[in-house]
Amino acid sequence: MSNPIIEIRNLTKSFGSNTVLVDFSTNIKKGEVVGIIGPSGSGKSTLLRCINFLEIADSGSIVIEGEEVGVGKDGEHTVPIGKITQLRTRVGMVFQQFNLFPHLTAIENILAGPKYVLKEGQADREKKAQKLLEMVGLAEKAGHFPEELSGGQQQRVAIARALAMNPEVMLFDEATSALDPEIVGEVLSVMRKLADDGMTMLVVTHEMGFVRQVADRVIFMDEGKVVEEGTPSELFDSPKHPRTKEFLSAILSHTE
Amino acid sequence: MLFNIHNATSALGVLSLGLLMTVFLTVICGATSLVAGVFVALAKMSKRRWLRIITGSYVTVVRSTPLLVQLIFIYYALPFAGIRLNPLSAAYIGLSLNVTAYLSEVYRGGIEAVSKGQRDAAAALGMKSSVAMRRVIFPQALRTLIPTLGNYIVSLFKDTSLASVVTIQELMFKGQIIAAGNYDYMTIYTMVFILYFVVGYPAIRFVTYLEKRMKTGYAAKKSSKNKVGISQ
Repeated sequence: MSNPIIEIRNLTKSFGSNTVLVDFSTNIKKGEVVGIIGPSGSGKSTLLRCINFLEIADSGSIVIEGEEVGVGKDGEHTVPIGKITQLRTRVGMVFQQFNLFPHLTAIENILAGPKYVLKEGQADREKKAQKLLEMVGLAEKAGHFPEELSGGQQQRVAIARALAMNPEVMLFDEATSALDPEIVGEVLSVMRKLADDGMTMLVVTHEMGFVRQVADRVIFMDEGKVVEEGTPSELFDSPKHPRTKEFLSAILSHTE
Repeated sequence: MLFNIHNATSALGVLSLGLLMTVFLTVICGATSLVAGVFVALAKMSKRRWLRIITGSYVTVVRSTPLLVQLIFIYYALPFAGIRLNPLSAAYIGLSLNVTAYLSEVYRGGIEAVSKGQRDAAAALGMKSSVAMRRVIFPQALRTLIPTLGNYIVSLFKDTSLASVVTIQELMFKGQIIAAGNYDYMTIYTMVFILYFVVGYPAIRFVTYLEKRMKTGYAAKKSSKNKVGISQ
């Protein structure tokens, strides 16, 4: 087995009295696509936000590229903010609400990371941004502001923006949940293309069809813990845990 | 006659010079405050406690006391502490300190109002917080604040009249001098009134225009040929 690209070790996180992650551990291998499913409030999004250090866990650590980031006694990360910033450049994140920069055009959104963080040369970054726009099928929308784009188009630009950082891992935090059902497909197909290209991906989603077809491994979370994990066919066709069965029958009954 | 046209025309030249000084004070104090306000706002949101305490106290003191008292204190009281300022410096410092305090609150409100999602997105791209502020947060905040900032500058324009107490020869001061000489208060102060209005009215119209413009989206700036809108 190859070395994991991300190790999550005993992560625990609560917001006030509400515990959202309980001693959560898993390893993500290079090129692996991991689907994370579970009911709302089960800690899926918080897990992704902790991996990108947007939330600071209460305890536990995350190892990215051999660099272990834990939590100190002062409640801050054990590595300096500069290191956190640098690690974040290796991990791309796509948000439920897209979070495109509204004052920048589609191509400027994609250029923001290469320009202000990676400090790539102008010709290089513009070529790359153009290519990424083509990849997500929006080459003709380069000069459009986010407000001129549909939700699906915005999310595809957001994916391209994350990819412009040349990340090792992509995190998808309910990337299609805010979209109208008929345009979910255009975003999922971009994600599928990424998976086919060998991108390591953690996908928090309610799109069970996508997880079943694309994921290498599925983690079912509830109340901040891994209830069950396995290949899509193991989890969807013969779930072992009663909680998994209950969740899947509830969610599949109204989507299929 | 209530309004003496002869007195009015003979005062016009001197009053215009006063108006020039009023506009000059507005421009230099306004420019200083628009810039300094940003830094005070950032300092008020700093991680360093001492910086927050210093800037917070400054803003609180300024907002809790009248501008007229601040100007008089700077010009007439500070010399007793060995700080002697000429009238223009006193007015410049007094007005700028005052407006900077108010503008810093405006900026802070605008910066805090930018959604957390924008901060998350900038952080997720690996931007340092200073880069995120400069490239993502502040430009969005500034856009929403432009009309409010404009209103404060118009207020500054009117408040420069208080600088007359530190013997700045601005419009109000010039009016007082002339009126004290010819006793034609009605004519002279009507002229002062009109001259403030002549600059103030277009200024508030401009602020209203900026407000309207702000309500249209980012895309409205672009030329119409690019205005394709949502197509799918």
